[in-house]
Amino acid sequence: MAGIGDVLEWARHQVVSRVPKADLDQRDPDYIRDQLPGLWLLASIYFRADVRGLDRIPNDGPVLLVGNHSGGNLPPDTFVFTLAFCSYFGVERPFYQLAHNLVVSAPPLASLRKFGTVAANHENARLALESGAALLVYPGGDYEVFRPVWERHKVDFGGRKGYVRLAREAGVPIVPIASVGGQESALFLDRGQWLAKLLMVDKLARLKSVPILLAPPWGLVVSDMIPRLPLPAKITIEVQEPIDSAGDDDAVNEKVLSSLQSGVDRLAAERRFPVVG
Amino acid sequence: MRVERRCVIDADRDDVWKVVSDPDRYPTFMPNLARWETITDGPMGIGARYTVHWKIGSVPVGGVIEVVEFDQPRELAWTSITGITMRGRFRLREDAEGRTRVTFRLSYQAPGGLLGLIADRIATRQVGRTLAETLKTLKAQLES
Repeated sequence: MAGIGDVLEWARHQVVSRVPKADLDQRDPDYIRDQLPGLWLLASIYFRADVRGLDRIPNDGPVLLVGNHSGGNLPPDTFVFTLAFCSYFGVERPFYQLAHNLVVSAPPLASLRKFGTVAANHENARLALESGAALLVYPGGDYEVFRPVWERHKVDFGGRKGYVRLAREAGVPIVPIASVGGQESALFLDRGQWLAKLLMVDKLARLKSVPILLAPPWGLVVSDMIPRLPLPAKITIEVQEPIDSAGDDDAVNEKVLSSLQSGVDRLAAERRFPVVG
Repeated sequence: MRVERRCVIDADRDDVWKVVSDPDRYPTFMPNLARWETITDGPMGIGARYTVHWKIGSVPVGGVIEVVEFDQPRELAWTSITGITMRGRFRLREDAEGRTRVTFRLSYQAPGGLLGLIADRIATRQVGRTLAETLKTLKAQLES
């Protein structure tokens, strides 16, 4: 008789087998180009975004862009930064982003793959950097992105630092991308890690958080899987000086974290009101 | 969208030409210039390429441009190679008493259909302001 372990294994297989293999060829520069004006409108008018220091990113060659992640399942700073990168360096420069398995395998989000979004794992990341592309990663992932709103100005990778080894092995510099505002696009109350364990989605779908938040138009939302209206929080992004990936994992990770945290503190100090900025 | 601003500068046409045909001086008189890089070596002329980005809205907008008209000291025009579709032009005309009429024009077209058209319209005000500021700074530089 099939036990609960078999059922879990079956369900896990159903999820994993649907995660598309990294196919860097799915990125489509013409598609991205057509989307930029829409993103520009959203970023400029709705989120009143401001992106600074793009000149600190090396002009060519592979580079690992490491950001702090905000905004739940609708992270505005990711869209704003993608727009900024594609606008500044042109859609001709290959640029990929790592995202959670569930993001790249959700059918309504298939178009993200044309933007160069690939499933977050070491192999995909290595392939992207070896191809000479710029790669955007958020080590904090679903842990950081669902942090409660009162921790909105805290950079917290949840102890994840695999990105350092990734950069070192590929021999590429790390460029920290600090951003504020994203965590004010909804009222995040709890990461809901206990809920993820309870529902067993942590094992089934690598989903460590089932967040609880207040967001229009629904009010109280659990899981952030239903489309909601993000609040028009002002997004500010600062690209920082590259950090050499050679050396001890912990030391480099520490450097990246402190660079990001000081950037976030600086940008946060400029804000006078929540959401409005 | 086509946006145009004009002014009269109390300076000789050749002097105005010297400034607008010198790539090194662009950052000194163009406001909102987020990126200005020379791609081809040598003095400006037909075929010279530059990377130009203005901060319009939330991000730097622009791309690689190539000079397509270089008619000293009357016309300087460029067209975009990458990035947003754009043509730009400086027209210099002689006015009375050694003054010069300067026209600075940008025609641009964002990709992406309807959203592109809306973005074009919304950007018009800021582009117009950038052009006007450019001419104001140019005038101040030449008349000082």
